[in-house]
Amino acid sequence: MPMKRSMIARLLPGIASLARGGSAGKIVLIGSAIVFSIVLMTVLSPWISPYDPSAINVGPVISPPSKRFPLGTNHLGQDMLSRVFSGGGVMLQVAVLSAFFCLIVGVPVGLLASYSGGIADKAVSLVMDSFYAFPGLVLAIAIAAMLGRGTVNMALSIAVVYVPSYYRVVRSQVLTIRELPYTEAARAIGARERTILLRYVLPNLVGSIVVVATVNFADAILTAAGLTFVGLGVEKSIPDWGWDLTDGRGLLPSGAWWVITFPGVMIVLLALGFTLIGEGLSELLNPRLEQ
Amino acid sequence: MKMKDSKKGLSTTVVIGAIVLVIIIVLAAWYLMAPKPKVKALIMGTTDSVETNIDPAEAYDFFGWEIIQATGCGLVQIKEGTPYGAGAKDVMPSLATKWSVSNDGLTWTFDLREGVKFSDGTEFNATHVKYSIDRGMSLAVPEGAFVGIGFSDIIDSVEVASKYQVKFHLKIPFGPFLSLMASPVAYIVNPKYAPFDKTVGYVEGDARASCPNDLGPYILTNWTRVAGKDYEMRFKANPNYWDKGLPKSEELIIKFYADATALALAIDAGDIDVAFRQLKASDIENFKTKTNVKVWEGTGAFIQYMIFQQKIKPFDDPVVRRAVAAALNRTAICRTVFLGQAANLYSMIPNGMMGHTDAYKKLGDANYSFTRSALGALGYSETNKLEIDLWYETSGHYPQSADQAAVIKSSLEASGVIKVNLHGLDWPAYRVKRGEESMPAYIYGWYPDYVDPDNYVYPFLHSSGSSWLHNNYANSQMDKLIEDARATADAATRESLYAQIQDLMVEDAPIVPLFQSSAWAVTKPDVTGVYLDISQVWRLWLLEKR
Amino acid sequence: MSLRSYVVTRLLLTIPMILLLLSIVFIVVRVLPGDPVLLHFEKHAKPEDVERLRQNLGLDKPLHVQYARYLVGIIGGDFGKSMQDFSPVAQQIFSAFPATLELAICAIVVAVVTGVLLGVRASRFYGSLQDHSIRAFGVVMYAIPVFFLGMVFQMVFGIGLHWFPTGGRIYPTLEPRGLLLNMSRPESGFLSTLLRSLPVGLVAAGIIYWLLRRRHVAFRARGLAICLSGFTICWLIFAALLWHYSGVGVFRLKTGLFTIDSILEGSPVKLVEALRYLFLPSLTLGLVLCGIFIRLTRSNMLETLRLDFVSAARARGLKENSVIYGYALRNAFLPVLTMMGLQFAALLGGAILTETTFSWPGLGRYLVDRINFRDYTGIQGAVVLFGLMVALVSLVVDVLYAYLDPRIRL
Repeated sequence: MPMKRSMIARLLPGIASLARGGSAGKIVLIGSAIVFSIVLMTVLSPWISPYDPSAINVGPVISPPSKRFPLGTNHLGQDMLSRVFSGGGVMLQVAVLSAFFCLIVGVPVGLLASYSGGIADKAVSLVMDSFYAFPGLVLAIAIAAMLGRGTVNMALSIAVVYVPSYYRVVRSQVLTIRELPYTEAARAIGARERTILLRYVLPNLVGSIVVVATVNFADAILTAAGLTFVGLGVEKSIPDWGWDLTDGRGLLPSGAWWVITFPGVMIVLLALGFTLIGEGLSELLNPRLEQ
Repeated sequence: MKMKDSKKGLSTTVVIGAIVLVIIIVLAAWYLMAPKPKVKALIMGTTDSVETNIDPAEAYDFFGWEIIQATGCGLVQIKEGTPYGAGAKDVMPSLATKWSVSNDGLTWTFDLREGVKFSDGTEFNATHVKYSIDRGMSLAVPEGAFVGIGFSDIIDSVEVASKYQVKFHLKIPFGPFLSLMASPVAYIVNPKYAPFDKTVGYVEGDARASCPNDLGPYILTNWTRVAGKDYEMRFKANPNYWDKGLPKSEELIIKFYADATALALAIDAGDIDVAFRQLKASDIENFKTKTNVKVWEGTGAFIQYMIFQQKIKPFDDPVVRRAVAAALNRTAICRTVFLGQAANLYSMIPNGMMGHTDAYKKLGDANYSFTRSALGALGYSETNKLEIDLWYETSGHYPQSADQAAVIKSSLEASGVIKVNLHGLDWPAYRVKRGEESMPAYIYGWYPDYVDPDNYVYPFLHSSGSSWLHNNYANSQMDKLIEDARATADAATRESLYAQIQDLMVEDAPIVPLFQSSAWAVTKPDVTGVYLDISQVWRLWLLEKR
Repeated sequence: MSLRSYVVTRLLLTIPMILLLLSIVFIVVRVLPGDPVLLHFEKHAKPEDVERLRQNLGLDKPLHVQYARYLVGIIGGDFGKSMQDFSPVAQQIFSAFPATLELAICAIVVAVVTGVLLGVRASRFYGSLQDHSIRAFGVVMYAIPVFFLGMVFQMVFGIGLHWFPTGGRIYPTLEPRGLLLNMSRPESGFLSTLLRSLPVGLVAAGIIYWLLRRRHVAFRARGLAICLSGFTICWLIFAALLWHYSGVGVFRLKTGLFTIDSILEGSPVKLVEALRYLFLPSLTLGLVLCGIFIRLTRSNMLETLRLDFVSAARARGLKENSVIYGYALRNAFLPVLTMMGLQFAALLGGAILTETTFSWPGLGRYLVDRINFRDYTGIQGAVVLFGLMVALVSLVVDVLYAYLDPRIRL
């Protein structure tokens, strides 16, 4: 079928360049490696952590990095190394959940609204535009405050902020594809609208959605950290890099730099990983003029 | 389109660069080479701010009271450095020179100081006392100081006996009446700036209109708020203050900082002379090692306690409550969370106050054998743990609540038969949940309204206390003891009554006190006049820098 | 479509967006758990008092009445009274707003200047190590949580090196300091006022010079004469105004942007102080956003640099700098402009975190504080102001783009 081939046809040069070591491929590989190792570290954390990350007073309070505690301890005497190992779980879960919510809401709504056109399209676009134009963090804070603490609630508030992005991407693709000759041809031979949607339009969306999703992952991680900073994160008994940053802030004047540095670097790495994947993939799927 | 520069005339970049360079050099010279001007005023930094206003009829926050005490004056005051407060020897004359109480305890007579002038020249007399108290009671604003303290439950009427004598007729005999009169709610206002039917709030750009108080050591000259938050307050010495020789500093400036970090950095850099409330424990520990600042430690009166909701099983059973209380480890909290800057508290009455006994020590700290046997008798064991949902607030209303909760969880779980689930809520939601009576165990704190054991006992252990604590505790025997203790002014009787009250409290264990915080101030080495005593009065007028 | 009808259409579309925003805020705020009335009563809450406060705050009326009042109020410019401290919300948000505006402007300047310069550099040395490292820098910067970067700067520059203050904003009543301390008082003389007005004269001279260059007036006797006279006139006029209106040590908060105010007041000392407080927050926010501008400038420059007119300019012998900055950048700049508008929403979001980190007294911090108290009117006011700002900026950007690029209007 033409559309499937077209997508694969577009990917082929990219994959080939991956094999040749092209820059776009390299970027995706680096990003994936980063993300994968962080995920692995988080999954293995119960076994590789020297101490229970939530156990308090395993060491002296606010002590600098030493042999016993390579990354130091925080204000409750918790081992920072163990907390760094296990702190990524919350962010990863929030990122995945928010992408999931966005997909199950944004994609169908986008497909239906933009495909049927007319008033539905305009109305939904208006709503989505108001959400989109609005400072995302404010919206996320409002919804998170409404729902309370917890991974699912954070994911929901982030999802609300990002659904418009998905919607836009879907809509622009749908509008393009709807006018393409082969779609018209399909209609001419009597294919049902639903068939057209599912077999013609949807497969072409996958590429763009994947790119949006990876960008969404990166932003979700940063927004999750931001929400935690404002006090709307998960319950504090769960180890989380965002909480380490928030708590460590008060320790700076007394010179305890290690509490915020290591978790902060991990957050940067994780967000960076996803960003790289997104950048690389978008280059592969939409090669730029300079190539 | 720009053409290439002609050979005549200077190139654009050089000219602009020269101008910029000149400007930078001038600015740098201007700025860097001169010393900081010596500011005469004493500068204090704080993270507090005025919550509502500085009207004695409404203000109910620590900082609001601090300012009322600096700009206003009451009938009596508590001596600085007082060891425990509320005893006869600790109350000093202020606007009243002598006082006495009738035998039935229902009439208090105060002789007033003569020749004291308001800022507009009017002479102070007994009518102003009546005006101030009547105004406070009649205004009855939401959660006003008068409402919160229950003034109107205590005072029946104020009588102007003569020009310089005023009599208070009480509804019930009230032993701690002097402490009540020393608290800022009873301070005298200037009728010209304090309308009888309205409270006085912040007025942009007009410090006099924002301050109904008068007769105090300082006059408020400037009060700036930006974006709804206090920015700065300025004061100058009141020439009409009755106590000549005070205030020690001619001018006072209060700067408001957004958080402890900013405040710590400011005092470290020498931007301010005094830093008071609230510095983090780690900052204070850090300052103790530095030579450019001086750390003052004193008695705190802020306590924190855990409440059990007696409507929810199994906390309707005092055996369970006592068992959980015994498993708490106060030392861990004080050491881990506050780095030793708080003291274990075994009674609702703080350490150092009259009537205090270490009642809860009977149950002990981390007394796991007791906990296990008591809970074991009820069927709880390692495989069938008692599950507790412990709630705490997350808005910073109390210091480091989340950390306290974490330590409490770990010490309770160390007993082996308890499992704790932590739940944090921000302050508004926490308040709502308190009213819903759905939290099995929750942490709360308390600052005193007036310095007397009654203020630590009546709101918590009397059955009327559950109207705001919502813990559904009522014991008529306890009620009788408390009412007796507050009716008399005799210290010995009160002490023995409070001992009984505290023993009964441990038996019922409706509330478990956790710790009492110390009070801290950090100042430049040349600052004197810092008194951190049990009265919790921050005497701005005694601060002085050499 | 003509420009006018485009503007009108855009304006008309903005209105339902704002209405939608107002309604969403109204609903969200009332769904939040927590009751602002109860927060005023710590202990003895007599039911009559609670009811009285509820009526006072207008919370006893049914929802649709509250909603109608709220809408009517906003249209009339009345944002209501804060439920936390009973002061007019309009006064609070409009005094918080300049702080956020100042931060936003400085951050955008940092982001655009850094981003464009680095992007141009990357495009010039396409494929080299510089190119790759600049791109990596941009990507990494975007991945850093803005408050983490802020804390790192606070640690290094504030606490470690003591170069910059770690938070807050310059105090309006800052005591002047400097060599001419005594001369800063109006009693002491016209001389100090003259000196303080010098920078204004210099700036005026600079502007006149630039204008002359643009009009290709060679900088000879005539040009010099024009510049000098412009300098003297502006200098003296400003000195006279300053002398007339000056008061020592007290900002007349004219714009609320302390950098501008200090220039208007003729106090370079305060300008330096204001910039010192502004430096770290705007650097933080600007760096985090510069990645986008790096990428945009680089790709646009790469396209533009391949076009014919650039080769033609090079062939004519123009210096490389002139080619890049004079020709190519100008054409690549339009997308940067629109991106500035699009990033504005992200900027405001980032500003909230930056303001919290640096205790910057702006609208973002105001919002976070008011959420903690469930101050409905305060939250509504702040959110509406945020939304209006975003809507206004995107409207301006869209119109500007339509004006400059007629294809858009179709």
